[in-house]
Amino acid sequence: MVYRWPEVAGGVNHRADAPVTNEPNRGTPSLSPVLLAGFALRPLPLVLLQPALDLAMTLMRRRHSDVFERLDTLENASFLIDPVDLPFCFTLRLGPPAPRLSVVGNADDMESPSAVLRGPLLVLIRLLEGRMDGDAAFFSRDLAVEGDMEAVLTLRNAVDSGGIDLAEDLLSLFGPLNGPARRAFGAAEALFARAERDLETVRAAFVAPVDGRCDAQTARLRDLEDDLADLRTGMPRANAAGKRAARPGTARP
Amino acid sequence: MSGTPLELVCPAGTPGALRAAVDAGADVVYLGFRDETNARNFPGLNFSRPELRDGLAYAHERGCRIYVAVNTFAAAGNPGPWHRAVDDAAELGADALILADIGLLDYARRRHPETRRHLSVQASASNPTAIAYYHEAFGVQRVVLPRVLTVTEIARLNVQIPVETEVFAFGGMCVMAEGRCTLSAYATGRSPNMNGVCSPASHVRYEQLGGRMVSRLGRFTINEFPDGEPAGYPTLCKGRFVAGGCAGYLFEEPTSLDASTVLPELMAAGVRALKIEGRQRGRAYIAEVVAAFRRAVDAAARGDPVPPLGLGGMTEGLRETTGAYTKTWR
Ligand code: SF4
Repeated sequence: MVYRWPEVAGGVNHRADAPVTNEPNRGTPSLSPVLLAGFALRPLPLVLLQPALDLAMTLMRRRHSDVFERLDTLENASFLIDPVDLPFCFTLRLGPPAPRLSVVGNADDMESPSAVLRGPLLVLIRLLEGRMDGDAAFFSRDLAVEGDMEAVLTLRNAVDSGGIDLAEDLLSLFGPLNGPARRAFGAAEALFARAERDLETVRAAFVAPVDGRCDAQTARLRDLEDDLADLRTGMPRANAAGKRAARPGTARP
Repeated sequence: MSGTPLELVCPAGTPGALRAAVDAGADVVYLGFRDETNARNFPGLNFSRPELRDGLAYAHERGCRIYVAVNTFAAAGNPGPWHRAVDDAAELGADALILADIGLLDYARRRHPETRRHLSVQASASNPTAIAYYHEAFGVQRVVLPRVLTVTEIARLNVQIPVETEVFAFGGMCVMAEGRCTLSAYATGRSPNMNGVCSPASHVRYEQLGGRMVSRLGRFTINEFPDGEPAGYPTLCKGRFVAGGCAGYLFEEPTSLDASTVLPELMAAGVRALKIEGRQRGRAYIAEVVAAFRRAVDAAARGDPVPPLGLGGMTEGLRETTGAYTKTWR
């Protein structure tokens, strides 16, 4: 890795109004029920999703008007929301006449979004509902952001303040007769949680041999780094070996 | 050793976060108005006057207090927004004002003598003479100490000053003497001291370049994080730079303060209140961190060992430190 300080004369354009390249860099999504559902949805025309998204936005605006008040300052901002485990992306445009959520097949189907938010669907939903902290998701690299950070922070803070609960918001559609819908939703949630656990077991079984090899490689790499550091400082080899033996989890394979 | 529980002072950047903090067991919630009068002037964050009024009602009904931070330095020739912030907070019934600017401290003392005045960490007062001066001149009743003192130094200070002390317990590390850092001003022209924001979002860019995430602040590359490496804030103090041919952190690695392991020592040192940093953080952070510290503070007050808080997932760079409280480097 190369770092330069300061990178004043570098050729990179860092201006806040530089165009956002939403060239997909989605990484490899984890095996999850969302990923499998995405494969199942792939043959469906995306346009079928639009009425559901319009309904969701109408509900949001009705039930969480305070969120949209906080977004007032953004005027014409647009966001590409890229759930890395689904075969499509969402676009959110805040401009008049009203904020609109749409779906696109590819990240580069949206021209010059103000910002891009990228992460697994469940992370994005947890962020939307304020059940996950945005900074923590960023630190752990579950969430990647690019583009106009002022717009991203405004969106994040507005959404986080709103007390959005997708399930409750959708159940509100059924009014006082939401009992059966609530039960069906509870059952679906339990099914999803079970599928997630089962798939995690499958994933762990597949990667266990690779994990073992990785651990061994990591330990070996650490030893080599230690050896290198010792060589640099001129520490006697005997001490270096003693130090290695004293540290747990670094035995060579 | 058992004793009076430390007062738990918790952050809120939105009404949702305020409710989360109160519900999770905060004794006090601190917040600011949605402008440059407070040191967390982030887009979409902070409170309007009606939101403060509602927040005060919610907190007071549940036995929780509200402190309002008006803790940036008033712009030369334009003290109006800062005076209005002090007036509105006091008139709406805030339990204390957190202030740093001596002109504003004087204004608050003359106009609202009945409202408690706390000295913000932004004033960077860390010795008995400075603190005594703030007490005598402006009637300051509490000082928030900068994150540069050891527990021993805090204990020594507490017996020499006539006011309560509040110390940071968890959250972002501002590694310089607060109120005096000009790194952000140097890189972006905007600073926490004058504009209420360090490394403003308008000057921050992240780029995915192959398997690396590059963070930039203005014209400076702050860091490159390979895939899988925990990330940190894009502040110059947490930058990874090349010096002498090696890339490394010159000032501080991405890490968060966690003083939970030294709570009994802080109590013994005579500290009155613990502050959790993070008005810019989400409701999930507030709920989890406040609940964990509620358990920790109560355990310490009973004389029980402080349980592990399990807050690693909330920390910058996914690492924590006790910072200067246990520093051995001086
Ligand atoms: S650059 Fe670092 S030390 Fe300076 S104000 Fe910002 S966070 Fe604090």
